[in-house]
Amino acid sequence: MRVRFALFLIAGLGCGCARGSGGDRAPGKRVIILGFDGVDYEFTKKLMDEGKLPNFSRAAHEGSFGPLETSIPPQSPVAWSNFITGMDSGGHGIFDFLHRNPETLVPVFSMSEVAEGGTTLEIGKYQFPLSGGAFELLRRGRAFWEVLENHGIETTVIRMPANYPPSGTATRELSGLGTPDLRGNYSDFSFYTSKLFAFAGEDIAGGDVYEVDIYDGVVEAKLYGPDNPFLIETEKLASEFTVFLDPVDPVAKIVAGSEEVVLREGEWSGWVPVEFPMIPTQTLGGMVRFYLRSVRPDFELYASSIQIDPMAPAFPISTPKDYATELAKAGGRFYVQGLPEDTKARESGVITTEEFLAQAHIAGKEFADQFPYVLDHFDDGLLFFYLGNVDQISHVMWKVLDPGHPAYDPEVDPKYAGLIEELYVGLDGIVGQALERLSTDDTLVVMSDHGFASWRRSFHLNAWLKEKGYLVVKDPGMEEDPGMFVNVDWARTRAYGVGLNGLYVNLKGREKNGIVPEEKRKALLDEIAAALLAEVDPKTGGPVVTKAYQREETYKDRGELEIGPDIIVGTAKGTRISGQSALGAVGKEVLTDNVDEWSGDHLMDHETVPGILLTNRPLKRPAHRLQDLGQSVLLEFGIDESIQPGERED
Amino acid sequence: MFGGGRIKLDKDLLARVKKYSDIAGYSSVEEFITHALEKELAKLEDAGSEEEIKKRLKGLGYIS
Repeated sequence: MRVRFALFLIAGLGCGCARGSGGDRAPGKRVIILGFDGVDYEFTKKLMDEGKLPNFSRAAHEGSFGPLETSIPPQSPVAWSNFITGMDSGGHGIFDFLHRNPETLVPVFSMSEVAEGGTTLEIGKYQFPLSGGAFELLRRGRAFWEVLENHGIETTVIRMPANYPPSGTATRELSGLGTPDLRGNYSDFSFYTSKLFAFAGEDIAGGDVYEVDIYDGVVEAKLYGPDNPFLIETEKLASEFTVFLDPVDPVAKIVAGSEEVVLREGEWSGWVPVEFPMIPTQTLGGMVRFYLRSVRPDFELYASSIQIDPMAPAFPISTPKDYATELAKAGGRFYVQGLPEDTKARESGVITTEEFLAQAHIAGKEFADQFPYVLDHFDDGLLFFYLGNVDQISHVMWKVLDPGHPAYDPEVDPKYAGLIEELYVGLDGIVGQALERLSTDDTLVVMSDHGFASWRRSFHLNAWLKEKGYLVVKDPGMEEDPGMFVNVDWARTRAYGVGLNGLYVNLKGREKNGIVPEEKRKALLDEIAAALLAEVDPKTGGPVVTKAYQREETYKDRGELEIGPDIIVGTAKGTRISGQSALGAVGKEVLTDNVDEWSGDHLMDHETVPGILLTNRPLKRPAHRLQDLGQSVLLEFGIDESIQPGERED
Repeated sequence: MFGGGRIKLDKDLLARVKKYSDIAGYSSVEEFITHALEKELAKLEDAGSEEEIKKRLKGLGYIS
């Protein structure tokens, strides 16, 4: 993606927090919400029953604990948007991690986009941005904390997902899931190796592998940034660094600009600030973390995605704009991108399980270590604090809980059998910290957006649509479908799948090459929904799909309904739509074993993967759905007002 | 105009094009318009680079 200079210029925006003139609240009321992404109800309950989560149990004894109904579909951007707005996808407009542009049929990220419209002045090979586009948050609707601010109640919202760029409506905000790296991506590691043909021919997703040469014990290499916004011709920004290999010991010194770091094999660096020269008078700053895998016989060095540096953010990541810097000065630099655990490097085999866990531990600890500082500076009002470490590690490591998983390795995985439990115990410590700071009049809410399940079987939705005759391919003999619908014959295709739960009709007048008339849409959807629910997995003997949610029958909110999938496919617990199908590949097989490292998931029938709701005191208005929780939080402050102005309350 | 193809431009727009093609130092109106169109096309082609888009989307952990 091309990142425009204008984005850097707007780093100062987004600090106009909307403070109300209120004063009609109970003085000193405090509500802390701990948002634990991906914490599963059944697993939490089991650990509580076993006495392994004493702080959870302590809170539940005086308050409540139970399952929290997640969103349809149970994807984090959707679920958190339900929580934030009190609306369903039909209202806030986030239906999936991925949407599609009906005019191009290209999948796109759903949470934010780069707004176009910039102007530039060109001189020679350079262009000088004058004004222009910026990232735009696509979630619609008012956030529940905005209601509090309007009543004069301060809110601090740390890493709320689906809130990038930060809304600017809280007193303090730090953006989370949805925040890109400096290149505008969600994953972009670099791996430097002197090994010839390393990963040759392999599809390395989420990063790049660079072959480097060693001359007299020295490696010269580059980190790559976004496209240089000053150049008319596309060219990536680059920052050179040099690695000096110790001739005897397994040690190397990395020199990047004025920064030097010495690492032993198997050691991670701290954050290293790096600069990307753009034109003689301008540089773009970022930061990177190195991991020295090996000095000999092959040199191997991992570099994280280049992060926005919170010490001097090139993009707006907080409200006010210097809040990120305040946090960095207090506790050190930290991962800024959403979902920082490098699951892609693990999935591609660039790093091992041990290395992934070490990296994920660093990321998780950076976030958890900020909690005491944030608590120390929380006087009253609302504090929301998010942790996503459990979710990301569960995705990659859930198989250790499931010896029946196709990717379970009986030689290795038993070693990690207690890993997920340890993560939950870590969260119990965070709950303990919060409880210590609260009086009996204060409210603690511990919630998660969805649960988790073992992902054993992959459902290739587009292949199923082909098998049933709803989708027609141009070349039935294509061996390796690259996706992006290159093999779809749109003139004969009535339905297609995009995203992780979405199924769309190829509707005339809406889709680029639509053929299904509007008057036949409903009958087609009924027919497809019935066929989905009737599909049986020959391996398990069970259903493949247990819910086929038609959007008009599923969502009550309507403002953004038209951009959503026609059917949201709720696969049976244990089965998930494949990544290949999500990006428009058709392929030949309908159901396959999931043999990937990404072994746990939740993109299934939403009733099978509830999250949790734990409170230290009964809520004035109990919430059983994530969507209702924001409203309940308002009532804790004595505010009985709909989050959305003029909207109904269920 | 343009190798035999003909394109209609609004009279006011054409006047502005003439004025600024001179100021910007283009040798002709055609050269200016060709340059402007190539730039816009390059932008669209860049945005439509499906491999680039796919690579970026695959950065999402959920996509293998």
